[in-house]
Amino acid sequence: MKLKPVHAAIAAVLLATSVGALNAQDKPTIATVVKISGIPWFNRMEVGVKEYASTTPTVNASQSGPATSDAAQQLKIIDDLIARKVSALAVVPMDPTVIEGALKRAMDRGIVVVTHEADTQKNTHADIEAFDNAAYGVALNEKLSSCMGNKGKWTSFVGSLGSRTHIQWVEAGAANAKKHAGMTLVDAKNESFDDANKTYEKAKEILRKHPDIAGFQGSAGNDVIGIGRAVEEAGLAGKVCVVGTGLATPSAKLIESGAITAIGFWDPKDAGLAMNKTAKLLLDKKPLTNGMNLGVKGYEKVSVTKGPGAGYLIVGNAMVIADKSTYKNYLF
Amino acid sequence: MKSKADPQLVFLVGINLLVLLSASLLSKGAFIDPYNLQSMAAQLPELGLLAIGVMLAMSSGNGGIDLSGIALANLSGVFSATVVTAFVSVDQAPVLFTLAFAGIAMCTGLVGGVVNGLLISRLGLTPILCTLGTQLLFTGLAVVLSGGPSVRVGSADLLMEIGNGLWFGVPISFLIFLLIALLVGAVLKYSPFGIRLFLMGTNPKAARFAGFAQERLLITTYALCGTMAGVAGVLIASRNVNVKWDYGQSYLLIAILITVMAGVKPEGGYGRMTCLFLSTTALQLLSSMLNFLDVPNFFRDCAWGALLLIFLAFGRYELFARAREKGLQFISWVRPPPAHKSHS
Repeated sequence: MKLKPVHAAIAAVLLATSVGALNAQDKPTIATVVKISGIPWFNRMEVGVKEYASTTPTVNASQSGPATSDAAQQLKIIDDLIARKVSALAVVPMDPTVIEGALKRAMDRGIVVVTHEADTQKNTHADIEAFDNAAYGVALNEKLSSCMGNKGKWTSFVGSLGSRTHIQWVEAGAANAKKHAGMTLVDAKNESFDDANKTYEKAKEILRKHPDIAGFQGSAGNDVIGIGRAVEEAGLAGKVCVVGTGLATPSAKLIESGAITAIGFWDPKDAGLAMNKTAKLLLDKKPLTNGMNLGVKGYEKVSVTKGPGAGYLIVGNAMVIADKSTYKNYLF
Repeated sequence: MKSKADPQLVFLVGINLLVLLSASLLSKGAFIDPYNLQSMAAQLPELGLLAIGVMLAMSSGNGGIDLSGIALANLSGVFSATVVTAFVSVDQAPVLFTLAFAGIAMCTGLVGGVVNGLLISRLGLTPILCTLGTQLLFTGLAVVLSGGPSVRVGSADLLMEIGNGLWFGVPISFLIFLLIALLVGAVLKYSPFGIRLFLMGTNPKAARFAGFAQERLLITTYALCGTMAGVAGVLIASRNVNVKWDYGQSYLLIAILITVMAGVKPEGGYGRMTCLFLSTTALQLLSSMLNFLDVPNFFRDCAWGALLLIFLAFGRYELFARAREKGLQFISWVRPPPAHKSHS
């Protein structure tokens, strides 16, 4: 029988399978999947994941994420990791609801699932929050209102209307602002899609529409950068208050010029470490107890309660609010 | 008599096998684990259906394209979910719920497609501009209907089966895609509609003078295209349990990439369903292979781009024919052909 290319291909594929079958069992793999790769926030988280990988040689830990801010692309990565049968998934969901189906498939396949920034996620073994989200939203808003002198128009930005934590922060902020009769919320929950340029364009629009606007509360890591740039360009640095989530190094220039009043954050490196450590605890079938120490800064005494599904909700104490006088301590 | 193999088809078959092979070797066999094959097969119908839609639009000529595919798919899901959950309870009547959801979603897709077709044929709008506008329209409607967050469709067993179930080990969503591809392919190749569509795509002026009902052809084409989007919306809902207005924004360009890489002529008049199917599987295999090997997602776009360029080069400059000639020459040099029996 003449050897056709098709036969060769089939033979090679069979050979590959047999090679796979003969291979010894690898180390457990913890795969971290973030919202979007390449932005400062998740680059910092990758530092944490790499640190965990180097200090825990018994585990393979790595991070991946979509190139665009699209829940469908994150879903594809998760589906492929489930097919690859990683031991544990640590996911920061772009939209918790969209991946519920996939996470259920993962749990059914025996994969440990840990999430972050998704306290409504049902199909997870544990969701880790850096702090109580309502408290964070209030803290950001308090910083904003004290800068604004408790009066004036203000607006809020979110990464997307599906970003659970961002919505929690701005809604808590709005509830806090209601305490101050002089503050008026206009055009709330503008979507930035984690894109500093889109935020910049939207902020310019808002400045045009409300020339007397006095404050901005941002949520996504790049929001304050886009808003700050628009405020600075309009010559309003120091006159308009800008507060939001952000990392110190990318925001440094705008903080110095006064375009950004204050940034709030939690160290994504520690969040990444906390996720991976929790995943390892679950892989080793160790119990998660209230008040336990995860061995990560900001998560030394976490509260462990029941989550919305069958898993746990773990809340740490890792909130940081930094302004011009304190931001230099956090230049990572 | 040996028929001349279509170089594009051969290239696509080759690339599918090549990716499958390399991925299997590099992942030590994990890639062709049945679960992964099923997982990949379940991921590609959404994109494949959108690509069929784009192929239909492109084949109609006159710069035909459909940019509103994924927006219409999302709108179908959101609209159907909002309407059906208001009248039918998921828990009490799961089968009725599923049928109603699927039916309304496909009708929404159909209506959206008809809107596109009417705007393009009656008002004479350029397809790219028209579908750009309808994309924004459909997205806006979905945002208004849903208020922003995702809409929970509800887990009816039958609906879940469509998205996650298997039939003799093959995902049902993949079978649905295969069936639709076969049907639409047959319609395009053998039905009068299909033949007229390709003729019109090749030369609209000649079609007009030949008396084709161009408006009706265009409306039917875009309506079919919209229905594809509606079915994609159902599959998305069945797999993800929730539908959202901004799901799969990257799908738009990926669907166009699949279509172009299937050899569909953007100027109209030519497209093979077999090639489209293989193009979809090739991109899915490549994407999953890169995820399996922990390659950063940025490289995926780079790899797809490179693949597209190689494909276009093969088709354009008949490199494949020349390579095949050279290959045959080499083989005959290595192993001379057996001596012929002399007939004297």
